[in-house]
Amino acid sequence: MAMLEISNYSKSYGGDKLAADSVSLKVESGDIYGFIGHNGAGKSTTIRAIVGVLDFTDGEILIDGHSVKTEPMECKKVTAYIPDNPDLYENLTGIQFLNFVADVFQIGDAERSERIAHYANAFEITDALGDLISSYSHGMKQKVAIISALIHEPKLLVLDEPFVGLDPKAAFTLKEIMHDLCRKGAAVFFSTHVLDVAEKLCNKVAIIKQGKIITSGTMEELTAGKSLEEAFLEVYDA
Amino acid sequence: MHNLILLRTLLLSTSQRNQLKYCTDKKKKSRIIGNYIGIIVLFFMLMAYCFFMCIGYGMYQMIDAVPGLCALTISLLSFVFTIIKVNGYLFQFKEYDMLMALPLKEKTIAACKFAYMYIKSLPWYASIALSMMVGYGYFAKPAFYIYPIWVMLALVLPLIPMLVATFFGFLFAKISSGFRKRNLVQTILIMLLVLFCFGLRFFIDNMIRNDAVESTLQDTYYMTAKTVELYLPAKWFEKAILQTDLVSLTLLLVISVCLFAIVFAIIGSSYRNINSALKSHAAARKYRMTGQKSKKVVWTIAFKELKRMTGSTTYLVNAGLGYVLIILLGVIALFVRFDEIIALLTNGAPFDPKVVYPSIPFIIYFFIGMVSTTACSPSLEGKNYWIVQSLPIEKKTLYQGKMLFQLCLSVPSMAIGTLGICISARIGIVDTICYLLIGCLLCLFSATWGCVCGVKHMRLDWENEVEVIKQGAAVSVYLLVNMFLTMAVAALAIFIGMQMDHLLLNLIWMGVYALLSGLCYLRVRVLTQRPKMA
Repeated sequence: MAMLEISNYSKSYGGDKLAADSVSLKVESGDIYGFIGHNGAGKSTTIRAIVGVLDFTDGEILIDGHSVKTEPMECKKVTAYIPDNPDLYENLTGIQFLNFVADVFQIGDAERSERIAHYANAFEITDALGDLISSYSHGMKQKVAIISALIHEPKLLVLDEPFVGLDPKAAFTLKEIMHDLCRKGAAVFFSTHVLDVAEKLCNKVAIIKQGKIITSGTMEELTAGKSLEEAFLEVYDA
Repeated sequence: MHNLILLRTLLLSTSQRNQLKYCTDKKKKSRIIGNYIGIIVLFFMLMAYCFFMCIGYGMYQMIDAVPGLCALTISLLSFVFTIIKVNGYLFQFKEYDMLMALPLKEKTIAACKFAYMYIKSLPWYASIALSMMVGYGYFAKPAFYIYPIWVMLALVLPLIPMLVATFFGFLFAKISSGFRKRNLVQTILIMLLVLFCFGLRFFIDNMIRNDAVESTLQDTYYMTAKTVELYLPAKWFEKAILQTDLVSLTLLLVISVCLFAIVFAIIGSSYRNINSALKSHAAARKYRMTGQKSKKVVWTIAFKELKRMTGSTTYLVNAGLGYVLIILLGVIALFVRFDEIIALLTNGAPFDPKVVYPSIPFIIYFFIGMVSTTACSPSLEGKNYWIVQSLPIEKKTLYQGKMLFQLCLSVPSMAIGTLGICISARIGIVDTICYLLIGCLLCLFSATWGCVCGVKHMRLDWENEVEVIKQGAAVSVYLLVNMFLTMAVAALAIFIGMQMDHLLLNLIWMGVYALLSGLCYLRVRVLTQRPKMA
């Protein structure tokens, strides 16, 4: 079943060029889908449209069968988004922020306590949850953002450069969580510049250049015996 | 349900109580307590002012005008302050992406941001309403049930003007989102609306003048009565208080609630659309490398400050309004006689305009000096503070750049205003030069004193830039001291000017402000040399 389906999505910022130009792709349940491209290629623009932050006119984006345009609430209830540089409420403590997100998703007391404890332990941040977020390092903020994204057990996890700022242990934990979610039938869609990570983690990849998907498919189809780096440079420079 | 969760979190995330509870930095804690004390003092001052105004009305048997005056004061203040800051609250907030990705309706987010803005400003309006209620109660001795009605309606009173201002803010954002220079278009539209409001005050004033009333207090009395007739919510409030009119009471409540629902249904429908347009920028990607020119470090910092200001509508409107007003006044002064301007500004109070001459630089300074970019710009560095911190420049150079930018803004507008008024008043060359020099020193004082406040009360962990541009401790301390000092000096200038040679008096003011500016500059040097400060 398609957890995320993008059909002919285009976005213009008013200039001559399109930031996203007829982007189409499909993320199935159980997929870890990598979205690769240079800086300014249109990755974040596409991701922000998927999660309902950015308005768009052309094309259609469906999440779990619901349209982002016409049924945004249904889509958001099953989606979680972690931006590359999360802006959290700095004057809340970590636990206050997590409770806020859990309240918005209407998660019961027992479930939220269990999930927060589980993920906070996994990311080794339990001790810091009582401190103000303003006192956190970038990586700690990223961990809180990740926990808040997982609190409602999303069907679709959308991440923009998720490994930036994470320590090696946390990066490993996140990868494990991604696999675990997919085993339970969810899907993960994330952008990255780190091709090694994408190669090891993803089963599907799309490459975007100047707003257009230049190639997409399973990792095997794309690499065809080469490394992802070689395959990427080949299609990107073609 | 979502409304309450989000509103509670918004309040908690900006509440200093939360910081006080969880922060471990003792210095920060004592700064927060200092802020609390400062704000309480401000509340008391505002309440005292309003109460004594009621006493004046009571003593001249005009106490019936107080409910209308209370309604108008709250409505006007809430409208003007909302129009200035609504953009920052509704559209330019940092956590937009995070909130929009959560299952919250766009209408809910916008309405919560509005409710947050309302709750944050309510204590100020409540201070006005309660002190006027006490003043009114003392003289009018109304029935006991008038007090709860007054309190209830006073809480509702700011809603309609705030909603109207929010709608204008939304409209301006929608219009400007179609332009490349969005901030500039939005700033111009907001400034035009504020200028229109100022103009409206004189228009109403003119209507009363046709009634040929004489005394200043009576003027205000009739002006209030006439404006209350024109502005229905104020009329409903007045009728509910004076005549215990339940229909008026109900109308005020129902219309406020209905307007809230309508405004946020409209805003919600295109909230994401406007934010998408405002937060994204078309990139031409056409730059060709050309020869680059070097600048002095202080000019580079000043240029950075200019780009910071023009990049934010909230900052531009707050910092720029006074300059626009004084330039307009300078130009208008060339076509309107000085005594007519003074008559307008003083509601026609009977005195010789020449008496005001020694205070001209301070009157002009009242327009340009009440906001200084140096007071908020250190805090506005926010998360980007690391950039200037990591550069190989001395901190004094950084603040010299900020002060230079402030002077580049204030000195030319002060010169235009001063010259316009001096020409209009036919003031001699020597006095004009003196006023220009005093003006320059006042601008220097504004830049240096602003910098002292900005560095001393620097706050980098803000959620929304409105918090440091309009509500920050640095800006409040700067404004309060500057306002009272300027009022006192202007009054002194008029008083001493009647008995002393103007040239000597001007030289004294020059000396005083040169000394104050020098002291403030030295204070900035000391503050920036402290290891943990700035």
